[in-house]
Amino acid sequence: MLEIKNLTKVYDTGTVALKDVTCTIPDGSFTVVIGLSGSGKSTMLRCINRLIDPTDGQIIFDGQDITAARGEELRKIRREIGMIFQHFNLVRRSTVLTNVLSGRLGYVNPAMSLFNRFPQEDRDRALEALEQVGLDDKAYNRADALSGGQQQRVGIARALMQRPKMILADEPVASLDPVLAHSIMEYLEKLNQEQGITILCSLHYLDLVQRYSTNVIGLRRGRLVYQGTNEDIRNLTDADFKDIYGEQAVRIGTGSITG
Amino acid sequence: MSAELPPELANMQQDEEGDIIMNPIRERNPLVTAAMGIVPGLGHFYIGRPVAGILYLISGIFMVLLILWVGAQAEFDPFGQMFARDVERYLGIALLQYLLIAFAVLFWVWQAAAAALKTAGRRRAAPVVGAVALIGFTYLLGFQATEVDLEKFITEFPDTFRIFTLIIWPWEQAVQRDEILLTAQTNWLTPCAGDPPEQTREGDTWITLDPACGEIAAFSLEEARVVPGTQLTATGSGFDPGVPVELWWILQSTDPDVPEEEVEDPETPEGAPEVEGFIPNLLVNIVPPPPEEEEEIIDVDAVAGFASHPPVYNADPRIGTLANPEDFEDGQTGSIEIIPNEEGMFEVTFGAPQSLPTPDEGPYTYVWQARQTEALSAPRISDDFRLAVDRMVVTIFQALMATSLGIIFAVPVSFLAARNLMFDNPITRIIYYVVRFLLNVVRSIEPIIWGVIAIAWVGLGPFAGVMALMIHTIAALGKLYSESIESIDAGPIEAITATGATRLQTILFAIVPQIVPPYISFTLYRWDINVRMSTIIGFVGGGGIGQILFQWINQSRWGSAGMAVWLIAITVSVLDYASSELRKRFV
Repeated sequence: MLEIKNLTKVYDTGTVALKDVTCTIPDGSFTVVIGLSGSGKSTMLRCINRLIDPTDGQIIFDGQDITAARGEELRKIRREIGMIFQHFNLVRRSTVLTNVLSGRLGYVNPAMSLFNRFPQEDRDRALEALEQVGLDDKAYNRADALSGGQQQRVGIARALMQRPKMILADEPVASLDPVLAHSIMEYLEKLNQEQGITILCSLHYLDLVQRYSTNVIGLRRGRLVYQGTNEDIRNLTDADFKDIYGEQAVRIGTGSITG
Repeated sequence: MSAELPPELANMQQDEEGDIIMNPIRERNPLVTAAMGIVPGLGHFYIGRPVAGILYLISGIFMVLLILWVGAQAEFDPFGQMFARDVERYLGIALLQYLLIAFAVLFWVWQAAAAALKTAGRRRAAPVVGAVALIGFTYLLGFQATEVDLEKFITEFPDTFRIFTLIIWPWEQAVQRDEILLTAQTNWLTPCAGDPPEQTREGDTWITLDPACGEIAAFSLEEARVVPGTQLTATGSGFDPGVPVELWWILQSTDPDVPEEEVEDPETPEGAPEVEGFIPNLLVNIVPPPPEEEEEIIDVDAVAGFASHPPVYNADPRIGTLANPEDFEDGQTGSIEIIPNEEGMFEVTFGAPQSLPTPDEGPYTYVWQARQTEALSAPRISDDFRLAVDRMVVTIFQALMATSLGIIFAVPVSFLAARNLMFDNPITRIIYYVVRFLLNVVRSIEPIIWGVIAIAWVGLGPFAGVMALMIHTIAALGKLYSESIESIDAGPIEAITATGATRLQTILFAIVPQIVPPYISFTLYRWDINVRMSTIIGFVGGGGIGQILFQWINQSRWGSAGMAVWLIAITVSVLDYASSELRKRFV
């Protein structure tokens, strides 16, 4: 279980990205964070694995205080939390296999990894992870030779190598077309349902949110403005919509999706 | 336009360019303005354009100072040097001087006129006039300051052309044919004390001197002239007929008590035997004249010797002929070359030469040697060409070492100079600024200056060149490398950090794969530069081909210098092509 308590982040520039956010992400949930661009979704996700240091507040993950962790302790927490990115963030010139193997860096002997040596067990596991995302035949291709959807699947495989309890997905489908977007979301859903990995994902498209989420959090200008279940989001009221997206936002289509 | 002026500026005006001027100009008198223009810019002050006025004033002051400076440079004196020897040159300078002043006056008149015309009405002084005055002044000044000499440019060309052809096609110098010498030698004592050396006529080839002892020529302070030495008659036999024979002499021993040592035959004409205590002296070359003048006796007047040459006050062949009789007619001293007769014999009478440096009180034994070039060896690769190739190889290795050592330091430095890695906390940020500053300073100092510093540090030679290039390479590559780190995609760093990797692992997995291609590319580029630079570093003593090239240029050995230039050009273009081809694969 991930508890976020009074999380506040003020950047050096004075921008208040998060203001006093408190919420709980239940284990095994597929929680989606929604909100406008700049509402603090990415900052919140990056505070959880400390890619960004929060200004104030606490984040508790399985009883460990992430915000207080330092050095080795922080690395151990990080390796239990996988992350996938809007722009995939693969090392483009490295092979797909190396990219996937880099997911093990938190576990392997640092000295051996310096020479790009990984245990055979890890290599087998990497090929296995690639098989899970349907890319086992691309293992030795360079990462930048792959299409966007394939690159994101490599990103997922890399996260899987960490054997994560939780995956943070920062707008994982924003750079992809709608068909690929669904396929990536299905992978995440499968991980969530079959392996019980908690997914915390930020999304822009309400139809994806309604289709995949179990829980929904809404952020607006760094403040938590909405919290609900899949049921709630399927029946999102206009008032809630305007709470999240602002008074001037125009809602297109209907609020609820059936089936 | 004035309609748009805000109320507080309503009492001001705008001129046609839209500039706001402080006072309405029409109230001013144009004549007063023109008169004030005597001081540059004052007219513009008067009509309320202080900025223009200050600029004109500064320009005026600068022009006066520059004219004075050029005058001092050329020691310009309108009257004193009129009758100097170098009238043409003087007139050239004077003409430039007067033209310079004329342009300055034109500018001065123009600025006064500009202010006056402004006052008189809305007309503007022709800007072309001002521009011509300024441009004329500037280029004339440049012409004088840099001492452009178009005359020399044309007249000296034919002399240069000879050098030029040697450099353009120097390959005759790549082959040399060694002389095979036929020699004979005998000893001669000065002054006469004890037994003179025996003059033997043994063997196929021999030479004798008569008398076997005597005085050498010497400069007499009392008489303020060179007193000629004893008349010597050299007789030789067994030489090839018709081929010039040169006479050389060498002081055998400076210590009269030391018994004579056997003298080794010098192997090359220039090379005296390298035995300690021997002072090699230029010998007298004796050359036979053309056959039809064989019997002609050449009278040579006594020669007051040039201090740097051993005087030979005559050379009188009884058998054989002088090869260069005009040397003696002109009263010159030095080489005597004689051509033996059909039997291969010669006999020549001449004054014993002066020995420089003058030895202390004798007696001394001199070795006299008659040398004849019997034949030329088969052509072989010349020593200079071997040397040039050898130094070229050294130069390539210099570039290799400088680049490699440079990389070793530049890679870690580049991480310290990368903004995106060093801005996380204040301490690293300070390191970043310090490293950046040092890199900029080191880089702004040319490698040739580093060469001079390195020579003071590690002494002359290739290592100094390597050091100079290495220091500059560290700074140059450090900057290029750090900029390629700064331009990398930050995404992978984020992703690798998120996996729980250590800082070092993050650098190796997220940064290194991104920077290796640009690093290789920059390194090849730098290696290319270093090969070129190392040829120049030699000019200040940093070893390699530059050093030998510099030496050959100073010795006016243009052919050898030309070979070095060719080798540099070939090497640089080959490496240039290779590195650009290689770089294409990495970018």
